[in-house]
Amino acid sequence: MVISSAFLRHGDGTFAAIFAETETEVLINLTEQLLEILAERVDEVHSDPLAALINLTGHDSPPDDEVLARLLPNAYADSVDSADFRRFTETELRAKKRAHAHLVRSDLLNMQDSTIRLNEEAASAWLGAINDIRLALGVRLNVQENSYEQLELLSPDDPMRGVYAVYSWLGWLQESLVNCLLDDLEDTVSSEDLGGSS
Amino acid sequence: MVKLKEKVEEQIQPSFLVDRPWITIVWDDPVNLMSYVTYVFITVFGYSKERATELMLKVHNEGKAVVSTGSREEMERDVQRLHEFGLWATLSHDGE
Repeated sequence: MVISSAFLRHGDGTFAAIFAETETEVLINLTEQLLEILAERVDEVHSDPLAALINLTGHDSPPDDEVLARLLPNAYADSVDSADFRRFTETELRAKKRAHAHLVRSDLLNMQDSTIRLNEEAASAWLGAINDIRLALGVRLNVQENSYEQLELLSPDDPMRGVYAVYSWLGWLQESLVNCLLDDLEDTVSSEDLGGSS
Repeated sequence: MVKLKEKVEEQIQPSFLVDRPWITIVWDDPVNLMSYVTYVFITVFGYSKERATELMLKVHNEGKAVVSTGSREEMERDVQRLHEFGLWATLSHDGE
């Protein structure tokens, strides 16, 4: 049996967490769902080779799906400016998000001794992926500023209760990893103050 | 002469010489963790933890905050980076 733990800092500049089997399965499943939903937004095939070359997605309006719309939001209040921006940038944004999710999935599939060990760069990608999954779950749970009390009180047979439990667990996991990174940063700053930075 | 004066006044609007910067705005979101938003501001902008925390609290308490200013191209880069991290960000021309 494995007792899971949140992310903790180790002396060698890495951050490690222990995952129970169910947690591993749930998180792998969610990264796969995230990859699937991102893949639903397919680039339009361009007959114009120049457009293909500069990575134009052809998409100029936000996705209809609420989850995708939250993950790939408009950059401008103005719809014309937003459309222009989206045409040039959405493909890259989706690729970044997919890369983060792929990394988390492959780390979990290749995990040794139920332990995930991350360096700073991998930690940043993990944070991005966990956050995307939380954003997606948040849309499905219809999380609002004042809805936490209501979500805590969901009845045991409500299917959303399980979803909310996973959402809360991911928040806890993400917070532990963020705190590791913030503590790390603070130590770097104070060692620079002392002139002891290497 | 009158014609020229009219023409000049028409073209040289008050905003012609005032080079207003573009701004990046981050909007409050009920899902993103406060600590995470602070971390993102430090990572994307290189702000100190104090400055990043101050901006995060402004977003949380006032519903939005201007997190960076500069040229349109710079702000588009900032918004793209913030979207990569899942923050809800937009850019606009200051004052609009």
